[in-house]
Amino acid sequence: MIQMREVCKTYDTGVVALSHVNVDIQKGEFVFVVGPSGAGKSTFIKMLFREELPTEGRLLVNGHDVVEMDRSEVPYLRRELGVIFQDYRLLPDKTVFENVAFAMQVIEAPRRLMQRSVNSVLDVVGLRDKYRSFPSQLSGGEQQRVAIARAIVNNPSIVIADEPTGNLDPETSWDIMDIFKRINRAGTTIVMATHDRNIVDTMKKRVIAIEDGRIVRDQQRGGYGYEA
Amino acid sequence: MKLRTGEYFIQEVFRSLRRNNWMSFASIGTVAVSLFVLGVFLILVLNMNRMASTLESQVQISVYLEEDLSRQQRIDLQSNIEKMQGIDTVKFVDKDEAKARLSERLGDQKYLLEALGDKNPLPDAFELTVAQPDMVETAAKAIERMDGVESAKYGQDVVEHLFDITRLMRIFGLVLMLLLAGATIFIISNTIRLTVFARRKEIAIMKYVGATDWFIRWPFLMEGIVLGCIGGILSAIALRSFYAAMAAKIYSTLAFFPLMPQYPFMNYVTVAIILSGMVIGAIGSAFSLKRFLEV
Repeated sequence: MIQMREVCKTYDTGVVALSHVNVDIQKGEFVFVVGPSGAGKSTFIKMLFREELPTEGRLLVNGHDVVEMDRSEVPYLRRELGVIFQDYRLLPDKTVFENVAFAMQVIEAPRRLMQRSVNSVLDVVGLRDKYRSFPSQLSGGEQQRVAIARAIVNNPSIVIADEPTGNLDPETSWDIMDIFKRINRAGTTIVMATHDRNIVDTMKKRVIAIEDGRIVRDQQRGGYGYEA
Repeated sequence: MKLRTGEYFIQEVFRSLRRNNWMSFASIGTVAVSLFVLGVFLILVLNMNRMASTLESQVQISVYLEEDLSRQQRIDLQSNIEKMQGIDTVKFVDKDEAKARLSERLGDQKYLLEALGDKNPLPDAFELTVAQPDMVETAAKAIERMDGVESAKYGQDVVEHLFDITRLMRIFGLVLMLLLAGATIFIISNTIRLTVFARRKEIAIMKYVGATDWFIRWPFLMEGIVLGCIGGILSAIALRSFYAAMAAKIYSTLAFFPLMPQYPFMNYVTVAIILSGMVIGAIGSAFSLKRFLEV
């Protein structure tokens, strides 16, 4: 599903964000990417949806060669991914329904599917009854749930989340994690960068720890901190 | 492009025209003014070209006779000219007839002739028509060498002059066109840039969920084309009234002036102006997209 071979990323400023990273993530896995700020977590995540390109090495995502692929193929890679950010990134002048439908609209999905798909993902995130609200009328957790709905409405095979609970209180964070668990159980691979020790320790999923641009630990059923 | 997508694009275009109403207004105004100036040049150049070629195709030579020619000399001269190759008809116009014609042609300004009293400064003349336009020059030169001929005039020097002027106007028009087009493209690309900026979040999301570059570009391109098109329509309307007014003015004073008839000429100009507006609009937005939409 995701394969990184000797991936390095050096920014134009000379900052080395990642060096010689090797990772394999299988279909259906739930993976936490942890590490201190500036360790390279974000770069790792961004490379998966080709927001950043590796400067060296090979990267396969869902069968696409991310490094070699033509610019014009990038949209088609991204249609197989669902991306979620810490700051939700919803469109303030669109309703909940429109925000989710927007993801279908821009890939020119058939309209007859739209109503049904949007309603069904709003069910998944528990916001069916708020479909006419605007983002400003929702709490942070609700907004993130809309973002999740938008990310999964096109049935991606991988969901990539960059600190999705970073702006939320612990209780709300757990609601969000429940949704991720459910999506994962349905077979979707999830890669999530996070700072939330509590979540990582409790979920007992695979943990990839990055420090100074290197993978310092890759552990099944791991925790946030270092274990002897 | 799917129909539904087209609908979406059109909605987006009108949304952003409303949002940037002042900039949109400025763009449309600039396009309209620029295209109007261009259109005036186009109309002038085309008309002068037409005038030049009309004159050129007039296969007429005016042969002015020396003052003191006797009747017999004149008749001999006429038969000599008639015998020349390529001469179609020879018509004698005496000085009185010439004066009457001139007076008619002057119309309101007839008083200029009246000032001369009974004097008639005009010479007797032959009016020749020639079988083919390209014979005019040689025939005129041969006739000019004949005894009793003061001079033989034909449209050529006027034509040359006109061509010189149109050539100059064409160059000037081209330079002006480039400058105006440049300014218009600049204004439009700035307007589109505002739209891109206003919608940058939306664009980022579109990219994350897998919209193609063209899907993202189309609404902006269409916005530019719509701006250019509206500007073009306004300027075409102005040009049509301008030409109608000009034609009315010219026909009332210079009836013989070979002006392009208003139709279908102005319909072509209208189409050309509106199309140029759309092309300029498209180029303008393409500029801003190239710089601001790199994925």
